[in-house]
Amino acid sequence: MKRSRTAALLLMGTAPLLLTACDSENVAREGLYTSVEACVAQTNDSHTCKQAFAKAEQEAVATAPRFADRESCEASYGKENCTERRDNQHHSFFGPLMTGFFLSQMMRNGVAANGFTSGPAFRDGNGNWQRPAAGAAGGVYRGGARTAMVPVNATPNRAVTTSRSGFGNSGSSRGIGG
Amino acid sequence: MRRIATAERPDWRTKAADCGFGFHTIDDAPYWDESAYYAFSLREIEQDLEAPTEELHEMALDMVGRIVDSERHMEQLAIPAPFRDWIAQSWRERQPHLYGRMDFAYDGHGPAKLYELNYDTPTSLFEAAFFQWQWLEDQLARNQLPAGADQFNSIYESLVEAFGTIARGIARPFHFAAVRDSVEDQGTVSYLRDCALQAGIECDLLAIEDIGLSADGRFTDLDDRVIGCLFKLYPLEDMFREAFGAYLPKAGLQLIEPPWKALLSNKGILPLLWEAHRGHPNLLPASFDQGDELPRGWVRKPLHSREGANIAMHLDDGSEVRTDGPYRDGPCIRQACHPLSAFDGHYPLIGSWVVGNRACGIGIREDRSLVTQDSARFVPHAIVEEARGVLIA
Repeated sequence: MKRSRTAALLLMGTAPLLLTACDSENVAREGLYTSVEACVAQTNDSHTCKQAFAKAEQEAVATAPRFADRESCEASYGKENCTERRDNQHHSFFGPLMTGFFLSQMMRNGVAANGFTSGPAFRDGNGNWQRPAAGAAGGVYRGGARTAMVPVNATPNRAVTTSRSGFGNSGSSRGIGG
Repeated sequence: MRRIATAERPDWRTKAADCGFGFHTIDDAPYWDESAYYAFSLREIEQDLEAPTEELHEMALDMVGRIVDSERHMEQLAIPAPFRDWIAQSWRERQPHLYGRMDFAYDGHGPAKLYELNYDTPTSLFEAAFFQWQWLEDQLARNQLPAGADQFNSIYESLVEAFGTIARGIARPFHFAAVRDSVEDQGTVSYLRDCALQAGIECDLLAIEDIGLSADGRFTDLDDRVIGCLFKLYPLEDMFREAFGAYLPKAGLQLIEPPWKALLSNKGILPLLWEAHRGHPNLLPASFDQGDELPRGWVRKPLHSREGANIAMHLDDGSEVRTDGPYRDGPCIRQACHPLSAFDGHYPLIGSWVVGNRACGIGIREDRSLVTQDSARFVPHAIVEEARGVLIA
């Protein structure tokens, strides 16, 4: 047989199939946010968002990649995206600005449980998100050695939109099908 | 291959309404037309359409690999310079693709000839995958077709399977976007989304006009969520030159169809395929147009024309056929003229579907003229075994 055995429609049909119910019990809610406001918009939990942000900022000092000078930092993270920092011994180095933070919470029946984990995230010059590898805390600058960073696949959940309608002007007068 | 007049299902308009097929009639003109169907033999389907589709698909993917390594080819295809590295990178990462449609001239005699690849924004999908399938089942049940009649159409199963295969590689949130006011395009993305949901992928619809841009150059939906993956039924080459286009290469947005499809939906692929596979039975001779006079026996097509717009044909008998359209400027190719054959005064064009990397079905649109335009009607098909009886004189 050269044809499909069946051809079901889920939403388009008038007699939709039943969706199996989602398991709404213990699931983790994880988010990557670019600001406390974005976090609150998503979670409705301003207390946790503020705490998570503060903790991530603190951690960023310890775990952000370290560069001897601003130029080499900006080569990786883009212009204006690096800042000077000092470690405990007051040694100066350069590292990327924290551009986002993670927040992870356990949810029980739709309600956030106590406690959370959070950490900083950075965005490299190509727009890709990354975070320090697990166990990277306390990464020490050694002659240009970099803290191990791992790429992040998640995109931040919210970002403040500054404009719309930048797509769709060529095709609006016609269907575009080929 | 034959065109057979047949009785319509009396209730097909109700059935169309029941499944959300709102564009069966466009501007008072019929688009879905089941007053006839095309009958093929299994041999015609498997040897003349299915196998060449798979072979040409492989040749096309192989050509993508050559184009991304060649600045000259990128130039020939008029790919804007700021997008070339991004396109090349999307191919090197083998970013997942979903589907495409090849258009063939075929009449049952001689090899099918490739007119073009619709590999970026192919439509007529719902009617091919679903409504055509339902027509066959209904007409079998009503004894309007020979017993055992079949159809080359596992498009639906292939779509659900393909979505399942790429599900893990699709960034979330995942949105399907098309032009807000195009009923046909909205119907196509609604159907694709339906198939994605059936594959267990959470996804939503979004008008292409509603896509937002954040201060840091990322694309957002109406809830200000950053879009992870966008299925866009909208030409890549149009996105390139629109206001948000410049942000695409660095926005971190995954696209389906992926950027490398811009190399295949481009008619410049046709001369490149011909150069690489000169004399292939399913290819027509083609070259890049230098702008001089079009000799007899050749057709001129803009690199980016859709729906048969802005085509110029200079037929062997000296007559010319021209279509109007919005693609007046820009580079063109020329292709050897191989006019469609007429069946009872209709000119059928075979759309052969590739989902994932599998040839999985066809849909036929026929027009009253040699150039298939948006006035074409969709006519169903069936596989009917040739009569085995031998007439003894």
